[in-house]
Amino acid sequence: MASSCYITFPSTFFAIRAESVLKGQSYFFKMVPVPRSISSSCGTALRCECEDITTLKDRLLQSDLELEGFYRLEEKGLKKPVVTELYLDDQETR
Amino acid sequence: MVHNNLNLYFDNAATSWPKPEAVYKAPEKQMRQAYGNPGRSGHTHTLESDRLLYQAREAIGRLYNFSDPGRLVFALNATDALNMAIKGFLNPDDHVLYTAMDHNSVLRPLGRLRRDGLISTTMIPCSGQGYPDLDFFEKAFRDNTSLLVINHASNVTGTIAPLKEMIESAHRRGVKVLVDAAQTAGVIPIDVLNENIDLLAFTGHKGLFGPTGTGGLYVAPWIDLKPLREGGTGSQSEIDIHPESMPERLEAGTLNSVGLAGLLEGVNFILETGVEEIHRKESELRDYLYEQLQNTGGLTLYGPASSSQSVAVLSFTLDGADCGEIGYILESSYGILCRTGLHCAPLAHQAIGTFPEGTVRLSPGYFSSQDDLDYLVNAVREIVQLASE
Repeated sequence: MASSCYITFPSTFFAIRAESVLKGQSYFFKMVPVPRSISSSCGTALRCECEDITTLKDRLLQSDLELEGFYRLEEKGLKKPVVTELYLDDQETR
Repeated sequence: MVHNNLNLYFDNAATSWPKPEAVYKAPEKQMRQAYGNPGRSGHTHTLESDRLLYQAREAIGRLYNFSDPGRLVFALNATDALNMAIKGFLNPDDHVLYTAMDHNSVLRPLGRLRRDGLISTTMIPCSGQGYPDLDFFEKAFRDNTSLLVINHASNVTGTIAPLKEMIESAHRRGVKVLVDAAQTAGVIPIDVLNENIDLLAFTGHKGLFGPTGTGGLYVAPWIDLKPLREGGTGSQSEIDIHPESMPERLEAGTLNSVGLAGLLEGVNFILETGVEEIHRKESELRDYLYEQLQNTGGLTLYGPASSSQSVAVLSFTLDGADCGEIGYILESSYGILCRTGLHCAPLAHQAIGTFPEGTVRLSPGYFSSQDDLDYLVNAVREIVQLASE
């Protein structure tokens, strides 16, 4: 089954700021409503390829963004996905 | 002879008109095409509204030279922003300095806190031209002075305050500075970074060409304000304490995305045109008006003679005439719209000697033309002539 990764934010302001920072760069990402299986302070999350998530995190932290959490979701069609919270080895974000 | 010409509007200090064309169109587009509650749902319309607000914060950041759009808090107008700043910054027993040119939007929040016994205040007197008495100012600081409020330019005389000098003086003593840019935002270059402005309050519907109900407060990264209002932000909804992170910390409830769509276009127009160019044109208009009216018998002009020390506002009185009556004649006989009376700044009128009658205030704008000014000058001269007969 396919996996995708998510970055969550403490507020919509930071979600939109993340989009603005990454726009025009070569990463594939999309702003999406936060999946119900993830807990987040803000209703919008950034969905990306799992192989890019560390790079994106670093890029966003360089721009003074506040990030909340990082997750991998293994999608099972319409069934509940399997959620893994990722600890990306960065004290600042946890 | 009533004229229904757009450009006979000389009340831009109250609200600017006309607006750039895009300002009219953007709110309609926002309501018709991407009408979502910003920050709330996460669907496409919501995201479009969020993006719009973000772009507006960024554009205002470009205008005032700050890089973190999160330091811009949206407000209803300058009064709202000033209330947020004053009531959010001050603590009991603080002492505040302000000037005689300040508007009621500063005088009344300070007055309330003073009457409630929470703070003390000192008014810096101003000259008949509207300049603050800097000798008095230098001696007015106390050990508990925490805030200086500067009226960047007077809405009565147009006088531009010596911002740099006053900010430096306050900062030398560790006093923070709140700048009321109601009359200067969009018409005089403002650089919060290089001018070391701690708090900048402005309205959207005057020099920024936005709709009414829009405005904002820039809060420097080292300033922490207590929020005046708390509530829904669309984030951290499970906690009954308002979020701490900016700008949500100082914003609660659904924002005026429709109005802010218009404000964004107003700011974009200014960024494209250039504040310097707007100031240059408005200065020419103000200088011309002053020059043409200065030697008219019976007429007294208020404020600096040169636009280098003034925004495009010119107040006058006519010996023995009621300024309300002059305003009425200007509109009914000439189709000229202006403002008469006290302009919500009673201390400014005391300083220039026009209290309680007030003045007739003429405020041309970027879209006023030379022909409009000639027509206005002729109308005022005819009224002066009529009054002398």
